[in-house]
Amino acid sequence: MKGLPQESLSRLFPLVFPFLALWFFFWVVPLFLGVDLALQNPGSGLVSSNNAKIEYAGLENFERIISDPKFHRALFNTLHYVLGSVICIIPLAFVLAVGLFEMPRLYRGILSFCLLIPGLALPGAMSKLFYLFFHGREGALNQYLIIPLGLDPINWMMDPDFIMTSLVMQSVWRWTGVVALFFLCALEGIPNWHFEVAKLEGMKSLSRMRLILVPGVRNLALFAGVFLIVDGVASFSGAYTLLGGSGGILDSGLLLVTYVYQVAFPGGSGRFDLPGATAMSLLVAPMVAGFLFLILRLNFLQTRS
Amino acid sequence: MSRLLLSIVLVGFVLLSLYPFAWMFFSSFKTNQEIYLPTQLLPEEFDGQAYRMLLDGKFIDFAGSLWQSTFIATAQAFLATLVSAMAGFVLARYSFRTKAFLIGASLLIILIPRQALVVPVFEWFHWLGWTNNSFSLVLCGIATGLGVVFFMQSFKRLPVELMEVSRLEGFNPLRIFLLVIPLFAPSLVTYFLLHFALCWQEHLLALLLLDDNAHTLPLALAKLSDVSHRAPESIGMAAATLSFIPIVCLFALFFSKMRTALAQLSLN
Repeated sequence: MKGLPQESLSRLFPLVFPFLALWFFFWVVPLFLGVDLALQNPGSGLVSSNNAKIEYAGLENFERIISDPKFHRALFNTLHYVLGSVICIIPLAFVLAVGLFEMPRLYRGILSFCLLIPGLALPGAMSKLFYLFFHGREGALNQYLIIPLGLDPINWMMDPDFIMTSLVMQSVWRWTGVVALFFLCALEGIPNWHFEVAKLEGMKSLSRMRLILVPGVRNLALFAGVFLIVDGVASFSGAYTLLGGSGGILDSGLLLVTYVYQVAFPGGSGRFDLPGATAMSLLVAPMVAGFLFLILRLNFLQTRS
Repeated sequence: MSRLLLSIVLVGFVLLSLYPFAWMFFSSFKTNQEIYLPTQLLPEEFDGQAYRMLLDGKFIDFAGSLWQSTFIATAQAFLATLVSAMAGFVLARYSFRTKAFLIGASLLIILIPRQALVVPVFEWFHWLGWTNNSFSLVLCGIATGLGVVFFMQSFKRLPVELMEVSRLEGFNPLRIFLLVIPLFAPSLVTYFLLHFALCWQEHLLALLLLDDNAHTLPLALAKLSDVSHRAPESIGMAAATLSFIPIVCLFALFFSKMRTALAQLSLN
């Protein structure tokens, strides 16, 4: 960052202060509170209830969570969900973006807006819609695709073997268009002379794609990947509405955040295991963050060299 | 040939993304029996009974939820745009001592999102006595890492020479910011819309921080699809349609601005 004007912090303070204050108040404080909470004994209940005596239990909560089979299930499901979505969405979105890029300008805008629409809908509303649309023998996917292919109809929304597949499909349907729109904007940002040179060189369309189009969306693809991973790990609304807050049959659709919510605020029983839930999120969040940081770091080193 | 294939895939995907919405809209006029036959698109007859029942508040206070969601999303997106733009401007166009720390802070918010900290956030707000208050929901989403990174990239297009000249004129950074901010209207609008959409969909924090009589739309819809309510399915579909229309209109209105801003963003 050479050439930028040096400025003392005090003069920049009015511009940075709101962000810093809110960051501290709504992110740093909860983080430290969370660490404190995760070390407490689960019996002590809500901090604000006066009769509660806070007892510290050391790392007991973490040990309990690590050996919890439901936690393993939730972790595995979330991994399945996140990897499945990222692997399907990014290539598909790239193909769509190239398709849009080849279109005349007039159609480009209309079609890309249509692709954006699924990303705007509420995930909860969409799960409900998908449930009605796909469930049972009469469901649309069974009627249009599975039965004509001569296969047995699948109960997409309830069968434990397929519930994760249908959650991934929902995520693909939701985000592909949004990511494609971002990619399209990146492709439109590629300077025109790149394509002219490619034409003069007589480049084949495949090498044109490899040498011009893919590098054009590289940074945004990385950004989209990070966004999808974070959104996937934190996803809650779709599965919550679909399964009514439970994990589905045999916890086949149990996602991490749903499980955190279940542990922290169990319906009806009134036993709030806030420390356990916090320990769970504190166990997962740094793992995800570290993984993402590694990706960004590697990419940074690669672009530099 | 490959171009034709691409166009076919594209049009197919567009139809695939629009068809469920058409089905959703038409289903709001159907009877339960018709809805359970998903291959049927059009209802037997159109009467707006589901919409009437929904807006009468027989099952949920839908108008209240719509207002609540609109208020929270608008307020949060507006403040988040302002705060992130200020921080992003400073990070993009000045060098100062604690810059790396600030960038690190905004990256950390992206990497460990609020949803991961939801239990301690709940505890903290409980301790402050701020639960059951829509203002607390507005406040806790304003500091976003995504916004700061977005504006950091946007403001990089501002020439360094301009900064030098304004410094020689003796303007302080706040004044320069106010001078250049109108130039970045497309970026501001774009980030406002993105944040609005994300906030409109926020479910978990709203579930914890709001009480029963002040639901936002995701909560209201989840409650409506709860079996114990025995609401006809068409009402759920009507609610989904109505919650969907405002945000689509908003995006349609500013879509070309958004594309300009995104194309400029990826140049850097």
